[in-house]
Amino acid sequence: MEMFFHGFMQRAFQASLLISLIAPVLGLFLILRRQSLMADTLSHVSLAGVALGLLIGVNPTWTNILVVAMIAIVLEYLRAVYRTYSEVSIAILMSAGMALALVLMGLNEGGATLSMNQFLFGSIVTISDQQVWMLLILTLIIGLLYLVFRKPMYILTFDEETAFTAGLPIKTMSVLFNVLTGVTIAVIMPIVGALLVSAVIVLPAAISMRLSKSFNGVILIGIVIALIGMLSGLVASYEVGTPPGATITLILIVIFVITALIKNLLRHVKFESPFKKSNIMSIEKKSRH
Amino acid sequence: MVHYIEVKNLAFQYEEEPVLENISFEVDAEDFVMLTGENGAAKTTLLRNILGLLKPSKGSVRIASKNRFGEKLVVGYVSQQVASFNAGFPSTVLELVQSGRYQRGKWFKRLDKEDRDHVRRSLESVGMWDMRHNKIGELSGGQKQRISLARVFATDPDLFVLDEPTTGMDVNSREEFYELLKHNSSEHGKGILMVTHDHEEIRHYADKHIELVRKEDSPWRCFSMDSCKELSKPHS
Repeated sequence: MEMFFHGFMQRAFQASLLISLIAPVLGLFLILRRQSLMADTLSHVSLAGVALGLLIGVNPTWTNILVVAMIAIVLEYLRAVYRTYSEVSIAILMSAGMALALVLMGLNEGGATLSMNQFLFGSIVTISDQQVWMLLILTLIIGLLYLVFRKPMYILTFDEETAFTAGLPIKTMSVLFNVLTGVTIAVIMPIVGALLVSAVIVLPAAISMRLSKSFNGVILIGIVIALIGMLSGLVASYEVGTPPGATITLILIVIFVITALIKNLLRHVKFESPFKKSNIMSIEKKSRH
Repeated sequence: MVHYIEVKNLAFQYEEEPVLENISFEVDAEDFVMLTGENGAAKTTLLRNILGLLKPSKGSVRIASKNRFGEKLVVGYVSQQVASFNAGFPSTVLELVQSGRYQRGKWFKRLDKEDRDHVRRSLESVGMWDMRHNKIGELSGGQKQRISLARVFATDPDLFVLDEPTTGMDVNSREEFYELLKHNSSEHGKGILMVTHDHEEIRHYADKHIELVRKEDSPWRCFSMDSCKELSKPHS
């Protein structure tokens, strides 16, 4: 209980709660648009944004948001250029982001190494009130956008050609979605770490997709799973002293494995049920003999 | 008469290779037009040019902005691949077919009773109402095809653009489907452009027949249209 009296833990719980609300929404659209790795790319790019901020002495959160938003637009352009091999755009930008981050860090002569570690692996101790407020505003924006645009986004993720012939501005929607994902990653990244931010976004939706038949169901279950993973991960991270991003990711992976096992088991039981009419009849037949 | 689709001297090429040349025809309200041609005759390419998914290298394509009542024209498109959707897409049959109504001014509004009735009738017309709560990824190929059609019927478009929509259907289902399309064009004034291989079956329902034929004088595998034939109706 002692952890709840620390200001930094209170902010960490507030941030986790907000991340749990937005991660499954973005994660589901990323998975369905086959852009799961885009989150990873943008998190690598966001390191360059942070390195730039530290180098020029500007709050890295702002340079990060700016750089990631710009790259999110470039990513959509490259996705259109390499339509058949869209992962090429991911490979190009992921390496470009990482290389740029390393070069900018090198130019900073080691002064920013400690800060970079925080951004790489995440830190709950350093969550500021400003970050929590930014997350709250972002959550409200994403929640509102989801409520207003969920129908166009449903069609866009189902089939882009159907969306185009229905008169939807698919390019603008794709770019705005990418930018929103980029900004979210830039805001979440200092908390969970650049290396694992994509896992925190994608895993809850990946798990809930196996559990629900309906679109809204996936998002609701995803929020519950994200809450379980984030909050328990945070507690474990505090108690054991492990990095929060890694702890949360491992817990989500354990949930993923457990749900996959239970689902397979249920399917097996469904097909091999001893209560099946044919089984019961054959048992009755045997007992008569 | 409103031309829902107007194609004038359309040509299309992939990089240097011409694929389509000299294509001109119209699809009007109440027209049921079938588009045929051998495998690889660029039928889908022509549809994609018409819909704006590809850009013609020459000529022009115009889709009317208003229907015959002066309202915004709504296009319903069923692509060849639409039934091979991602097996993991988390949606029930009902959700997907309901999404067909969004185009009817419901992007930002709740679906009302009329919308729900449309959805129900569409699902019943393809025999999928009982499976409305099933996950779409768990359906067979034929069932996926049927819900794709139910979705477009739920939209109740002014113009149907259908790319081999009867793939995987049995003869009876196909006949019922053509009847339904014919009813939509003759009774409700819908325009229909359908790519098909079943031209012998459809000729009793369709009004016009466009056949894409290979150009003999071209070194490329390039197709042009033979003519746009008016079809006679044995039963009319």
